[in-house]
Amino acid sequence: MLQQILALFIIVFFLIRLFDQKRKKQLNANEFLIWLIFWLLAALAIIFIKQIDQLVAWLGFSGAAINILVYIVVLVLVYVVFRMRLTIAKMDKNITELTRIVTLRQKDK
Amino acid sequence: MKITCVIPAFNEEKNIFQVVTQVRPFVNEIIVVDDCSQDKTAELARRAGALVLKHAINRGQGAALQTGTDYALKNQADIIIHFDADNQFRASEIAEVVEPLIQGRAETVLGSRFLEKKSNLPWQKKYLIMPLARLVNRLFFHITLSDPQSGFRALNRATAEKIKINNDGMAHCSEILYQLFRNKVKVEEVPITVTYHQYGQKFSGGLKIITDLLIQKIIK
Repeated sequence: MLQQILALFIIVFFLIRLFDQKRKKQLNANEFLIWLIFWLLAALAIIFIKQIDQLVAWLGFSGAAINILVYIVVLVLVYVVFRMRLTIAKMDKNITELTRIVTLRQKDK
Repeated sequence: MKITCVIPAFNEEKNIFQVVTQVRPFVNEIIVVDDCSQDKTAELARRAGALVLKHAINRGQGAALQTGTDYALKNQADIIIHFDADNQFRASEIAEVVEPLIQGRAETVLGSRFLEKKSNLPWQKKYLIMPLARLVNRLFFHITLSDPQSGFRALNRATAEKIKINNDGMAHCSEILYQLFRNKVKVEEVPITVTYHQYGQKFSGGLKIITDLLIQKIIK
């Protein structure tokens, strides 16, 4: 119960942050909507955790199997984020190079 | 001997006119790289007598420095000085910084806030962030200099041609040191005075520098 309350507090914190970012126009409407749905679904999952447990058991998954699945998903996500970070860094580097070429060419004219 | 000063600037309309005016007597040319400022930085720098290059999008201090250095090299600079736009360095110390290069004692001179002269460094920087940065430099890059993050430096032409700043953000200071040592450049440290008007780099900024250095190393 305490864990659920803590998790809900964390979600409320992220929701407040989300609305704040929307107010400051740091997010566009689509991004805001996607994140809003994500956090609301997370909140629902926490509130109805017992029902989800029952559903998972009914589908034939044991607790241990679910744990392994979660670990694998987390690892995959970490890897994906890392790859994305590297791709962004490469793109950043290219953008800088392009900006530099344009700046120096403009000065030469 | 042509001495060129490269000043990267982003939204520095409060300081840039004064900085360019103060630097002018000590150099032959001043290049201000306006990193897509939203204020009158470019206009004021031009009015003060600087040659202004303008980034179409904001790319960071390291990127602006490299753009300015490239242009200075193309414009036949013999000595290139890197100087900050926020009025924290003393222009009168440029003469002391370029002197070892003119005398041929060094190929690069780095200004240091930790030698004889007194700078009003915040205590967190002096006793926490800088020792940590020094330790990172020593452990990862085997660099043993008194100031790990100084932005006031002078390079001769040959050195400037060897150095290529890949880190767009604040990690460029460590990157330059690393490249200097890798290229076995003769480095001399000269005491400088720094007057802090703002806090500058925070601890979180220091952590970002380490992350940026690691990522740059991977994508290279």
